[in-house]
Amino acid sequence: MDQTPAKSNSKPSQKKSPMSEPATPRRSLRLRSPHPKYTQSSQSPTKPKRPLPVSTRSPSFSPITPNPPESKRRKRSNSSDPKPSASTSRTLKRRVYYKKVVFDGGEFEVGDDVYVKRREGAESDAEDPEVEECRICFRTGGTVMIECDDCLGGFHLKCLKPPLRKVPEGDWVCAFCEAEKMGKVVERPKPPEGKRLRRTAKEKLLSSDLWAARIESLFREPDGSYWLRCKWYIIPEETAVGRQPHNLRRELYLTNDFSDIEMESVLRHCYVLRPKDFKEASNDGDDVFYCEYEYDIHWHNFKRLTDNDDGPENNEAGNDETYKFANDLSSDADQDSEYEEETTMDYSSFKNQSHELAANSRKGRIFGLQKVGITKIPEHVRCHKQTDLEKAKATLLLATLPKSLPCRNKEMEEITSFVKGAISNDQCLGRCLYIHGVPGTGKTMSVLAVMRKLRSEVGTGALKPFRFVEINGLKLASPENIYKIIYEELSGNRVGWKKALHYLNERFSDGPEVREEENQPIILLIDELDLLLTRNQSVLYNILNWPTKPNSKLVVIGIANTMDLPEKLLPRISSRMGIQRLCFGPYNYPQLQEIISSRLRGIDAFEEQAIEFASRKVAAMSGDARRALEICRRAAELADYRLKQPLESTRMSSSVNSNSKGKYLVSMADIEAAIHEVFQAPHIQIMKNCSKLGKIILVAMVHELHRGGLAEMTFEKLATTILSLCTSNREVPPGYDTLLKVGCKLGESRIILCEEGTKHRLQKLQLNYPSEDVAFALKDCSDLPWLSKYL
Amino acid sequence: MPTLRSASNPSSSPSYPKQRGGVSTPNKKRSRSKSTESTPIDARSPAKWSSPRRSNGGVGEICNGIVYSNLSKSPRKRLYDDHVEKPKWNPRDPAQMLAVKEALHVATAPANVVCREEEQKRVLEFCKACIEQEKAGSLYVCGCPGTGKTLSIDKVKDSLVLWSGEEGLQSPDVLAINCTSLTNTSEIFSKIVAKFHSRKKINGRLSVLQHLQHLFSQRHSSSRRMILIIVDEIDYLVTKDRAVLHDLFMLTTFPFSRCILIGIANAIDLADRFLPKLESLNCKPIVVTFRAYSKDQILKIIQERLMVLGYNVFQPLALEFCARKVAAASGDMRRALGVCRSAIEVLEAELRNASQEQEVDIVTFDHMDIALSKAFKSAVVDIILALPQHQQIILCATVKLFRHCKRKATTIGELNRSYSEICKSTQIPAAGTLEFSSMCSVLSDQGLLKLGQSKEEKLRRVTLQIDTSDIIFAFKGNRFFQSCLEQ
Repeated sequence: MDQTPAKSNSKPSQKKSPMSEPATPRRSLRLRSPHPKYTQSSQSPTKPKRPLPVSTRSPSFSPITPNPPESKRRKRSNSSDPKPSASTSRTLKRRVYYKKVVFDGGEFEVGDDVYVKRREGAESDAEDPEVEECRICFRTGGTVMIECDDCLGGFHLKCLKPPLRKVPEGDWVCAFCEAEKMGKVVERPKPPEGKRLRRTAKEKLLSSDLWAARIESLFREPDGSYWLRCKWYIIPEETAVGRQPHNLRRELYLTNDFSDIEMESVLRHCYVLRPKDFKEASNDGDDVFYCEYEYDIHWHNFKRLTDNDDGPENNEAGNDETYKFANDLSSDADQDSEYEEETTMDYSSFKNQSHELAANSRKGRIFGLQKVGITKIPEHVRCHKQTDLEKAKATLLLATLPKSLPCRNKEMEEITSFVKGAISNDQCLGRCLYIHGVPGTGKTMSVLAVMRKLRSEVGTGALKPFRFVEINGLKLASPENIYKIIYEELSGNRVGWKKALHYLNERFSDGPEVREEENQPIILLIDELDLLLTRNQSVLYNILNWPTKPNSKLVVIGIANTMDLPEKLLPRISSRMGIQRLCFGPYNYPQLQEIISSRLRGIDAFEEQAIEFASRKVAAMSGDARRALEICRRAAELADYRLKQPLESTRMSSSVNSNSKGKYLVSMADIEAAIHEVFQAPHIQIMKNCSKLGKIILVAMVHELHRGGLAEMTFEKLATTILSLCTSNREVPPGYDTLLKVGCKLGESRIILCEEGTKHRLQKLQLNYPSEDVAFALKDCSDLPWLSKYL
Repeated sequence: MPTLRSASNPSSSPSYPKQRGGVSTPNKKRSRSKSTESTPIDARSPAKWSSPRRSNGGVGEICNGIVYSNLSKSPRKRLYDDHVEKPKWNPRDPAQMLAVKEALHVATAPANVVCREEEQKRVLEFCKACIEQEKAGSLYVCGCPGTGKTLSIDKVKDSLVLWSGEEGLQSPDVLAINCTSLTNTSEIFSKIVAKFHSRKKINGRLSVLQHLQHLFSQRHSSSRRMILIIVDEIDYLVTKDRAVLHDLFMLTTFPFSRCILIGIANAIDLADRFLPKLESLNCKPIVVTFRAYSKDQILKIIQERLMVLGYNVFQPLALEFCARKVAAASGDMRRALGVCRSAIEVLEAELRNASQEQEVDIVTFDHMDIALSKAFKSAVVDIILALPQHQQIILCATVKLFRHCKRKATTIGELNRSYSEICKSTQIPAAGTLEFSSMCSVLSDQGLLKLGQSKEEKLRRVTLQIDTSDIIFAFKGNRFFQSCLEQ
């Protein structure tokens, strides 16, 4: 990867031979091209083309059933004819599967990656420039072009200022991107008037005007049209998480979304490569993409593609399965629907909903492709302008990643120097760091922020690449599973933990194999380290022992709440843990205030005192930043809710009226209410909301407690107190069984503690909460005003 | 222990009578360190038999005082004269810095293990005897963590193979296992069998252990290759019925057994505790004890490691300070190396911040002091002062409760009552019960309180993990808490 993609001058001819191996990526694209246009399939998309099944070289067409019927055999012999006549193919009643198809001058094989046209706009089909224009002079051809690593734009060497003589070694970023990175506003050169900027297929793909897919199987329908079943690739923007900072410009994700599309909509080949191939293929022209992860469109998660899963050479295991899968499907389809197209459609739509709408569905007419993962933002949301309060609510969400992490600079610096000290040199010295601190003090956040920063440093070449493995102890089913996860992260293979332990032991004690990419330093972050404690602590022993091995290149960062975890461990483990500790103390109130206001920077929604009040309150209790953010968010919600009430009702509240400008700030009162909600225990709410009789029972208990001084009382005694209370306040006295029922309910919600057993009459009762709480909750009760007398 | 003493006494006691004398009582320690001061130690002298493991931290302080008072004394300076001629170390040079860090890293095994010659010799002699007589034997190596057990045995293994090559004897097979990497305790037998018979098929009817026992109880005409089995962290093999450990040691008692078993662990009495049966069979393993390193040994080992560099990295005083502190606390070599490394990092950070004109090219006493205080400080007072106010009140309430009732434990319910009393008297709104118990658990996470288990949240037992005097000391300057405590 240390060479800029250079465009050599030789252009291998596109149409040299349809039989040329498509497995090797073409290096055609950004060269001075003798052919002004690449006109493979763009002449007329509507006109059906005659496909040429090539079979001489691959005689087996993936037989489906062990006992092929007569018709099938005939069909196979037919298809082995290089140019089957249209009439014979029409007569066939079943699907025929091919391994390789020559279609419109291009040769397509199972496992290839292709561009797929999107048929909505005619524009996208009108042209397919094979050669990119220079971003400065807007002409194609000429001399060698260089590609910017950031914006992927092409530049003539001579057009650059100052002009370059040759393609430089290492990464190269164009002047525009560099200036933009510095924060300057740059005007990129505009194309001359009247000349539309031609976009290459790559650009269209990356702006999702064109799609890429991987061919899983090729077949011909009974009506003679050629189809392929493909797996879609998607660009990072189309995933649920959007484009992430670590995504490469040319990165794609393989999805698990199958669809059948007609051969016609295939444009041409592209090359989606695995990381290691991508590294080698840095000079391979424009249609090269990078794919490291598979994306599950239903669950929106990513899975690393393993080496043996793919690649045309060693795809025995992985491909076999999918191939069989396809076969099963087709054999089913064969039996069910010899002639009925409808049934097939039903079946397939049942199998995958997006299929129906996917590219070129059966009739060849529905082109409204439903691409995976795209959810259109509803119109009303888009045109709605967010108010400051809503913005504040959004930024105060715990899930929102803050732009900066204030108040933890010292700790982050320490982590940075620790990690850098461990990995910056060729010889990675294994070490351990133990980070401890109470919850909500930014431990994990700081480490992750440091890692992001280091990763960007890797991107600029200041740091050697490293692997970062993050594990949360809470997410492990059992402590031993950590071996499994580490091994999967390192190698991509999933094995049992025993095996994984064996492999990891081998790897860390003997040093990794000679393969270069395996030899990167590994940073292992274990959150909630204390959950890895087993009875004999062997998991922790192993993990902390590996860094002390000579060739391990392992750096372990453990995070936990308990300060004295190393002291609780066996001495042999704490000896291996080393002495590197880092303490995250609870935040004090200026720090909390700074954290909140840094999140709210630019949003005018909170009164200054309100923030201070919230942070003081939290700092006095726990110093937990999460708590403080939650309180502020809740306060903003309360304020927002009040603001959005119909205007008539808000007239009544004076606080809004005082806001003459219509601006509404979150005030102290809102914070107070939010704090009340957050800090107040739920039992007060329950007491406030329980039934009339329940309240009477509680008051009677408090009354009895004050009178007698005993915490416990029998149910019988309580009943007589209640009856006397009711009669003296002109309340209808409840029946004995009703009383019992309500008492049971209070007991179930643990407001009252009931003695075990079924001695109803003499059962002993006791208030679970202090009598002050009951008094507080029932003091101003509107439906039973006489209660306060007894409190 | 007794075995070791009897073995090592004849060799060591005549030469260092003074050293062997006073190690057990504190005042004698003082005298010992005085003797150090009067007769400077040559850093290159062979290992001294000094103290066994010392546990209390008080020794370190005593030593400290001596170091401070000695700062200006001349004999010590003369002692390190030979170091001065070396070229200067340039900490700004990343290559040199890396070399130093590498030399001090735990993973780099030094070329020769100093200060453990005696133990190595014993183990080696034992193995040699076993191989020469072609008889089985077992050995148990114990010692505190970080005392070079695994490293020494590794060296012994290498030299044993070398020796057998020189003597023309058949060199033994070596199998080194770390028991933590076993997924199942009895897996160890299959590993041994695999080492024996890589080619021969194992009889399906017998279990692996039975196969081994069968193998060792018959005379085999085939090769009499010995097998050296090194079992690290052997106490992980202790199961409920101790069968695995027992069977493992029993392998050496079979008439035609060919294995030399070396077990390594921390516990000094593992054999006595878990293998009482072996004693009756008269095949108790010989015990070799690795004692915690003394100050001089630590010093010597670090110097040995730094020897390869060819320049001075540490001030001699700084190194000695580090050695003293570590020896006083645990005698753990890993810790000493870690402290040295963090002292280098302190220097690095200083260089990054400091301006160019101020040249620091050696790790001084001050750097080492910072690093040591990072490693050994007990920050209880700082932690208490950094706590949120309500948690401080809880600690205050605990102290008050214990002071009044002269008890050592209370429950959460009681503590809550005491806490709300304080809150009421100082007119601070008290936290609710749920909030209170979550604060208590945070405190217990930080190691200040200890919470017991109970079905009822209210009835959970609370004890203080730290001294009450620490809390009182921490609140000394704060009038608010003073008044709380006085009530």
